[in-house]
Parts: sequence; structure tokens; C-alpha cells
Amino acid sequence: MVQFRGYSDDQVEARLDFAHLRDIWPFVRPYRGAFAACLLILLLSFGIEILGPFLVRWAIDGPIADAADGRPMDVSAIAWLGGAYLATSLVGTFLSFSYGMLTAKNGQRVVRDLRLHLFRHMFLLGPPFFDKNPAGKLVTRITSDVENLNELIATGVLQTVFDLLKIVGIVAVLFLLDFDLALFGLVVIPLLVGVSLMFRRYARDAYRKVRSRLAKQNAFTAETVGGVRAIRGYGREAAVQQHFDELNEGTRDGWRETILYFAMFFALVELALRFSQAGLLYVGGRGIFEGTVTAGLFVQFWMYFTKLSEPIRELGEKYNVLQSAFSSSERIFGILGEAESPPRAKDPVESRPGPATLRFRDVAFRYLPDVPVLDGVDLDVPAGTTCAFIGPTGAGKSTILSLVSRLHDPTEGRITLDGDDLRDLELESLRRRIAVVPQDVFLFTGTILENLRLSDESIPELRVREAIDAIGAADFVNALDGGLHAQVEERGATFSQGERQLLAMARALCHDPDLLILDEATANIDSESEARIQRALDVLFEDRTVLVVAHRLSTVRSADQVIVVDGGRVQVRS
Amino acid sequence: MRILTRFRRGFSLLWERKWQVLRGLACMPISALLVLWMAQLLGRVVDRLRTHSDGGYDESALLEDCLLLAAIAAVDAVLRFGGRHQLINASRHMEARLKSELNAHLAKLSISWFDRARTGDLLSRITQDVELVRFVTGPTLLYGTSAIVLVPGGVYLMLEFSPLVAGAALVSFVIMLAGIALLMPRLHKHSKAVQEAIAEISQRAAESFNGIRVLLAFARGRGEVEAMSQLSNRYVDCNIELAKLRAWFNVLIHACREIVIIAVVVLGAIEVGNGTLTIGQLLTFLALLGAMVWPLIAIGWIVASWHRAVAAADRIEEVFSAEPEAQTGRDVELHGRIEIRGLTFTYPEQSQPALIDIDLTIEPGQRIGVVGPIGSGKSTLLAILLRFYDPPRGTVLVDGIDILDISPKSVRKVFAVAPQDPFLFSDTLGGNISFGHEDVDVEGFAAAASLDTDLDAFPEGWETIVGERGVTLSGGQKQRTSLARALAADRPALVLDDTLSAVDLATERRILDNLRSARGNRTLVAIAHRLSIVQESDLILVLEDGRVTARGKHAELVRQPGYYADTWRRQSEETMLERGLPE
Repeated sequence: MVQFRGYSDDQVEARLDFAHLRDIWPFVRPYRGAFAACLLILLLSFGIEILGPFLVRWAIDGPIADAADGRPMDVSAIAWLGGAYLATSLVGTFLSFSYGMLTAKNGQRVVRDLRLHLFRHMFLLGPPFFDKNPAGKLVTRITSDVENLNELIATGVLQTVFDLLKIVGIVAVLFLLDFDLALFGLVVIPLLVGVSLMFRRYARDAYRKVRSRLAKQNAFTAETVGGVRAIRGYGREAAVQQHFDELNEGTRDGWRETILYFAMFFALVELALRFSQAGLLYVGGRGIFEGTVTAGLFVQFWMYFTKLSEPIRELGEKYNVLQSAFSSSERIFGILGEAESPPRAKDPVESRPGPATLRFRDVAFRYLPDVPVLDGVDLDVPAGTTCAFIGPTGAGKSTILSLVSRLHDPTEGRITLDGDDLRDLELESLRRRIAVVPQDVFLFTGTILENLRLSDESIPELRVREAIDAIGAADFVNALDGGLHAQVEERGATFSQGERQLLAMARALCHDPDLLILDEATANIDSESEARIQRALDVLFEDRTVLVVAHRLSTVRSADQVIVVDGGRVQVRS
Repeated sequence: MRILTRFRRGFSLLWERKWQVLRGLACMPISALLVLWMAQLLGRVVDRLRTHSDGGYDESALLEDCLLLAAIAAVDAVLRFGGRHQLINASRHMEARLKSELNAHLAKLSISWFDRARTGDLLSRITQDVELVRFVTGPTLLYGTSAIVLVPGGVYLMLEFSPLVAGAALVSFVIMLAGIALLMPRLHKHSKAVQEAIAEISQRAAESFNGIRVLLAFARGRGEVEAMSQLSNRYVDCNIELAKLRAWFNVLIHACREIVIIAVVVLGAIEVGNGTLTIGQLLTFLALLGAMVWPLIAIGWIVASWHRAVAAADRIEEVFSAEPEAQTGRDVELHGRIEIRGLTFTYPEQSQPALIDIDLTIEPGQRIGVVGPIGSGKSTLLAILLRFYDPPRGTVLVDGIDILDISPKSVRKVFAVAPQDPFLFSDTLGGNISFGHEDVDVEGFAAAASLDTDLDAFPEGWETIVGERGVTLSGGQKQRTSLARALAADRPALVLDDTLSAVDLATERRILDNLRSARGNRTLVAIAHRLSIVQESDLILVLEDGRVTARGKHAELVRQPGYYADTWRRQSEETMLERGLPE
């Protein structure tokens, strides 16, 4: 049975592209001092790490060896070495603490700046951007993608460079200490690196595969919960369970692969360390026989070896982090590279509040080059008059209105407000003069008050109350628990269509616009609401320039002019 | 042993792989013994090396010891691999089985249970909670069985060498464990705070993007950025708090380990001076410490995570303990004659009835319209016909049989419902229409639902993946897909649940025309706000506040003052304006 094929395997390969580091730099720059401090800490802690094993060696070869060989032990020497080791440990601990704190702060701050920059930029990209990108996808950009950069920025680059430095540094010290032992070490290091590299590749691929399978399984689970009525209604329970089990087993089998690699990796790293320990013991032991190696030197070597395995393992893991960070940064900077819509005016003119006169001159608009949505539209809307639009769905009524608040710009012709071309006006000052009442009212999570003034604190609560009174929404708003401060539940689903429409009108009224754009609600309005809405419209339309998509005869009758929109052209009636 | 009863289900699923579990459990303690052996051997070799001048130890003996060490290491590596491989795989098996059983159980729960359950919470139980239980089970088995041997064995060896030094090491370990136990809950608390902070950012962003048109139109972008900035700052603070805890955590482990080393070396040196300890034994000591630190950290971590796993297991059990839907009634083949007699229905846990005294008879092949404002009971009536809810006995009969005596499966086979806001699965467009029925004329049904005209919009035609993880359909396209699905199901009754609300008038007209022939002799139940859809019905029911306030044919209802006539007038006006013909 061919079914639910949306869940076939798909994989996204990301490239490792260091060009993105250049894009990130401007965000890192303000904190470069703190990053430099991190680097300094890393170098200092490297010194500490090198020093520790020396102290242990001196203790073993000095006082301890004396004691073991029956010579009198120098107690002050062991106390001195113990104290020094304690001191280095304390300094090392302090350094690692500061490093942890500093990198966290650095990464978080850079990521915050980047997040806000991205968020702000999205608003500038305007409706075309939001039309082609679903909200869920954009939320991922703001959250996980930005988050993915955190580790890259906080520790990724610095740590990777430092890990490489550390490996080179330790190897150098090994050679300085004892050439034979170090040479033996060089045989072991490639073994460790080899194991890490192998693991890195296989485990990453396996892990990615299982992650994508799990994501699909979880998405399917979400769908079956959301679509439970459809599944029950059509009696599809068995097929759903069967498909779920297939996905579930697929995920489990995916895990089996990662488990295999992880089990191999952990066992092999341990084995490599043990082998090198045995080898070191043999090479070192021969040195002891020959008198060239002391017990202390052997222990010191061993300690360095253990330290060496850490950055090698880290490098393997960092690779994965870097790769996912790079694919995220590609997506983020892709958005940041997109052009603003509408484009910003060169010398924007502020649009001043006052009566609004609107003119369309030979306006054409198309989304796609060959498909005109509007063509040759000429309109004059004098200040304080109402202009009603009628015509079939999809004829271009909403498009005309969207041009006025510059959600889109005309492809040809010009629209002027009080004689100024909309494109020359400062966008925010233009939009502040306009209020929109859409057919389908969007209510945000938050209080009624926040929804009406849209978190614009410059609108006093009193004005919102007056607006509610004037619109005739006071009774049902006051009946809510908390009144104006009541939380909107389930995006306003608890309100009737009529009530939602009234709230949208109150929202428009408290913003006191010069120009009102309104799309009349039609469905599910009962007779009582209809009468209220009629009264509210009278209040709202008073002393304003109004563009309204009319669905009721009374609205058409009271309009100063009626425009029939059909097939992208307009015809003026009355 | 309350914990055991809580995890009974998990254990029994784990036990399905008992040989795997037993094999894994056998590997880990043996590996731990080998680790102890290697530590001892290392010390012995160093001691022999130091005293080689006394004779009896030469290069070939050294080589033998080193080879032995390597051989033990090789066996140990095999055991480590085997133990991890077997135990973690067994735990993943448990996870998969637990998810499958949960899913199977959900399929049995009633719709009213789903109505009460919050989707997000339910999903987190099926996914995160199960994973959390797994996450603790695997490592507990793995590190638990290893530590059971390693820690007492290591302590025993240490005590044998030097009780004083062993005592110092033990005290440090106890401090470390206590510190982990103390810090872990805080770490959980803070990581939760961080998750909540990012969730807030995510919600706020989703709100902004969903309401983007309002925000742009009212020029409120700056306000949103300001709000986002506050949330981001809080997130930064939460993260720094978490980083601070993590840093302290590292300080604790780092400091404890280092202090143990200093104590062991200093105290050990004194004992060596006294002649009660050899340098080799001191090295064995250090090696044992190194081997014990990681399992101890793991144990601390596991102990601290257990309470979360217990809570997760409880939440999972809660779902399992929910009562399955009543499966009373037998399987019958039905024609779909429906009789509703004086039906009054109140939702569980509510006081106001949703339906009051409803009478209705639907003969097979009839066209029935149900209209009324939001919340008047239309959807409730449909839910009862599908037996998503059980009505009082004797009030709803299908083919003369009380609906309570018919299995839900048989009842549902009578109806093919096309809902207003249908759920499309991430599948091909064609797959969403055929919805499991084989040999379905997808194109034919799509044409009847007037979806064929939109085919150009889908890059791969009927093979285009739609739904959550595919192409997004417009409201109208979704509704027409849902209608095509209902037609393809070929059930005795076709139910339109406000199916055409997002479809424009011309398309609606075309679909209604198509339906005349496409529905064949099926019953058509149309629930609608737009009266043009029910206009031709044999019987129209007007529901208001759960009661039938009017019934009859269209021609009769438009003449009675009331909801129907009012709505008809308003919708006619609208249609007229859409045609662009005022006056």
C-alpha cells in the first residue's frame, strides 16, 4: 500500500564554508576584547596543564624515590611540590571557570544581537517575504538556526584553533623531554586521530539519519493526534498504527547504527590509550633498565598522553558542530541578504497627519510578469469621503487596498497621498496615518488592551476605553473577567465573528487614523451584531477618508462613490 | 519499591530482549574486573622495574607483562563494546516498544479524551517522556553494573594498600557525589528556565509572523523588535545563570579530582617513606582513581536524573491508565437510515445541554441541510452520529438499531465527512484523496470537487507532497481535497461540514452542480453557514442554542421571519455586490 509517502528519506548535505566567518565578524567585533581575553585564558591554562605533570615527576623522582630507596625524605620538598601543585590546580580551576563564563557571555551576546538584527530585518522584508515563507520556518530561523551559531561563536573557532595548537604543543614538549618515548607517541597519535576521524564520519552520518527519521516520526505522531477525527471517521486506525510502527522501527534501526559506532568508538579510544600505555611501559621500562628514564618521567609522559587524547576527541566532535553552524549561517545570512520591501526612499518625506486625499494614476500591479492583477486603475478619493469597492472575489479589491498601505508597490503608475508619491514618504509615518480593519481579524496572545493599542504605550488606556464605548463593544469587553485587561484566549476563538469585528474596529478607532481601510466581515454575523456593526461603522467613518470593500447594501448606499472592480479594472459608479 | 512498580511496563518491554540484556549485564562487571587487574599490573611492573637491580626482572619479563597488559586491554575493549552495544540497543528496543504501545493505546481512547488532552502536552509524553525514561535506563544499566564492581573493588584494593590514603580518596569522592547531587537539581531547574525562555521567544516570533499584516499595517514593527529585545535579554541572563552553574559544576569535579591526586601523592609519599607503600602501589592507586572518577560522575548524574525519569514514567502511565473508548455494540452492515428521537445531550463535565429535544429522520438518499449560528449544536449533532460521543439510549437509531448497540467502527462506515478545516497528512495529494482506499479514481473525484482546476499549482501533480512537511494548500484547496476524499471513500452518506466556506461563489456553484450526479444515491448531509449550499435540500433544520427553531424546505423558511430569512437576505445582498450590480 502506497501511503504517507511524505516521509521518505531526504538528506541535506551542508558544506563546510569558512566564508561565513566574514559575515559573522561584524557581530563579533563589539566584543573582540572579551574574545581576546578568552584566548589569553586558553594560553595560560595550557601553560598550567604543561606544568602540572612536571611537579608530579619531580615529586616522584625526588622525595618519593628517596623514601622508596630508604634515603631520608625531604619533607619540605614534598610539601613545596604539593603546595605548588595545589596552587596550579586552583589557578587552573579559576581559569576554566572564567573561560566557561566568558565564552557563555560572549556567545550569548553575539547571538542576541544577531537574533534581533535578523528579526528587525524580517520586518523590513515586508509581505512578499512572509508570503513565500511559512511562519513556522521563520520561527526556526530566529530560534534554532541562530542558536546553532552560538557554539561556533562562543567556543567553536577559538577552541578548534586552540585544540590544534595544544596537540602541536604537547608533542613538542614530549620531544624535548625524551626523543625515544616521543617517537613512540607519534606512532600512537595517528592511531587515535584515525579512530576519531572514522568515528566522526560514520557517526555523524548515522546520527543525522536517525535525527531526520525521528523528526519524521514525531511529525507523524503530531499529525495523527491532530487528525484523530479524520482517522476515526474513515476507520484508518490500523493503517496509521502500521505506518507508525514502520517509522518507529526505522528510527530504532537508525539508532542501532549509531549505537554500533559509538560502542566501537568508545571501546577503540580506550583500547588505543591502553595499547599506548602498554607500549609506553615497555619503551619506558627499557629506558629504566638502561637508566635513561626515571619513574617520574614515565608518569609525566603518561599524563601528557592522557591530555593529548582530549583535544583529539574534541576535534572530531567540533567538526559536527561547525558543520551544522555553517548550514545555519547560510540560511540566516541568506535572509539578511534579501532586499527590503518596499525599498526605502532616498530622501524620505514625513507624511503629516491631517485630512487625507488619495489619488491613483494609471496604476498596474502584477505578482508575475505576465499575469496582471490590476491594470490602468485611476481613482480620486477626496479627504473625508467614503469609497466603496464591490465586485467578485479575486477581482483585485484587496490588492488595491494593499497598495495604499504599501504592503505592495504598484508595478506601474503612481499613488499619491496629499500630493506626495507614496514611495517618497517615510514608511512608518505613512502607515501611522492608516488603520486597517481586515475581514478576518487577527488577535494576538495578550490582553484586550494590548491587542487594541498593539502595545503602543503612547495610546493612553483612556482612549482605548473611549474607543470601545464609541464602537459599542464595551458591554462584552467589560463582561470579561478582567475587562480590558482580560487575556485573549485561543487567538480570540472564544469571541463571535461579530465581536471580533467590533474589536478590530475599536483597534482602528483608538489609533485615530486619517485614512481607514476596511474589509467588511460577512460570515456568521447574527442580526443583533449586524445592527451594532452598522452603528460602529457610522462612528468610525466620521471625518475620515475611507476605503471599504463592501459586502452590505447599506454600506454601498452611504458611500460617496462606488467602484466596481472586475478583472483587474475599475469602473466608477455614482 | 514504588519505583519498580512505576517502571514495570518498561522492565517487561526490556525483558523482551532478555538475552541481549543479560549478555550486556555480563560484560560490564567483567570489564570492571579487568580494569582493576590492569591497574594492579601497572603498579607491579613499575615496582619490579625499580627493583630490577635485585635481579629476577629483565627485558623479556617486561615484554611479557606489557603484552599481558595489551591482551587484557583487548579483551576489555571487546567487553566494553559488547556491553554498550547490547544494553543500549535493548534500551532503544524498550523505547520503540513503549512508543508503539502508547500509540496503539491512543487509538483506543475516546474523542472526548482527546478533546480534554492538550496536544502539546500529549505529544511531549509520547516523545520526550519516553525518551527520558530510555535515557536513564540505558546508562543506569551500563554504568550501574560497571560501578557495582569497580567502586567496591577499587575501594577494597585501596584499603588493602593504605587505609589512610584510601580514606582521603573516599572523602573526596563523597564530597564530589554530594556536590553533584546538590547541583544537579539546580542545573535541571536552570536548563528548564532556559528552555522556557527560548520557547517564549519562539512563541512571540510565531505571533508576530502570524499577525505580520496587522503589525505592518499599523507600523508596529519597532514595538515588536523592542519586545523581542527584552525577551532576548532575559534569555541571555538565563543562559549566563546556567553557564555559571555549569562552571561551578566543572570546578567541583576538577577541584575534587585534583585534590584527591594531591592528597594521594602527598600522603602516599609519606607512607612510601615509612615503607608501608611502594611507588608501584602508589601508581596503581592513581590509576584506580582515574578509572573510578568517570563512573562516579555518571552515577551522580544518573541518581540526579532519576526523579525526572520517575515523573516522566508517571506521565506515561497516566496515558495508559485512561479508559479506552466504549467498544460496545456489534459489527453490522448499515444502509444509513437515521432516526433521532427527542435527543437531549450534555457533554461530560458540563451542565448546559448542547442539544435539546432533537427529532430528525433521514431516509437513505435524502438531502438534509443543517444551519445555525456558531455554537448552536451542529457539530455536536455530527459528533454523535459518528459515535464520537454516546447519546442516551433510545435517542439515536441507525437502520432501526440503537447506535449504542452498533460498534463505532460500523457506525462510522456509514459516513464520509468532509470537514471545514480538514487535516491533510504529509502525503501526496493523491494519497490524501484516496486515503488508504485502493484503485481510487483520484482524478475523477478531484474533478467532482473542482480541484482539477488547481492542478497547475502543484509542481508534481497528484504526486505532490502536501501537508505539514510539504506544499501548503490554500483554505479552499484543502476543503476541496477533503471533499474529494469524502467522495472517494464511497460511504452511504456524504457529510459536508461547512466544507465550502473558503471556496468562492462560482466554484461553489460548480461543485454543487457536480455533486448532483457525483453523489449518486447517497445521502447528503450539509452543515453550512452559506445557505446556497442547503438551498436544494429536501429538509432544512435550523438550530439555535441547541434547539430546532425551524424546519422545512428553503421556500418555506425564507418566508418565515427568523434566522434563516435574515441570513438569506444578507447573503443575497453580498452575492449581488460580488456580481457588481448595485441598484
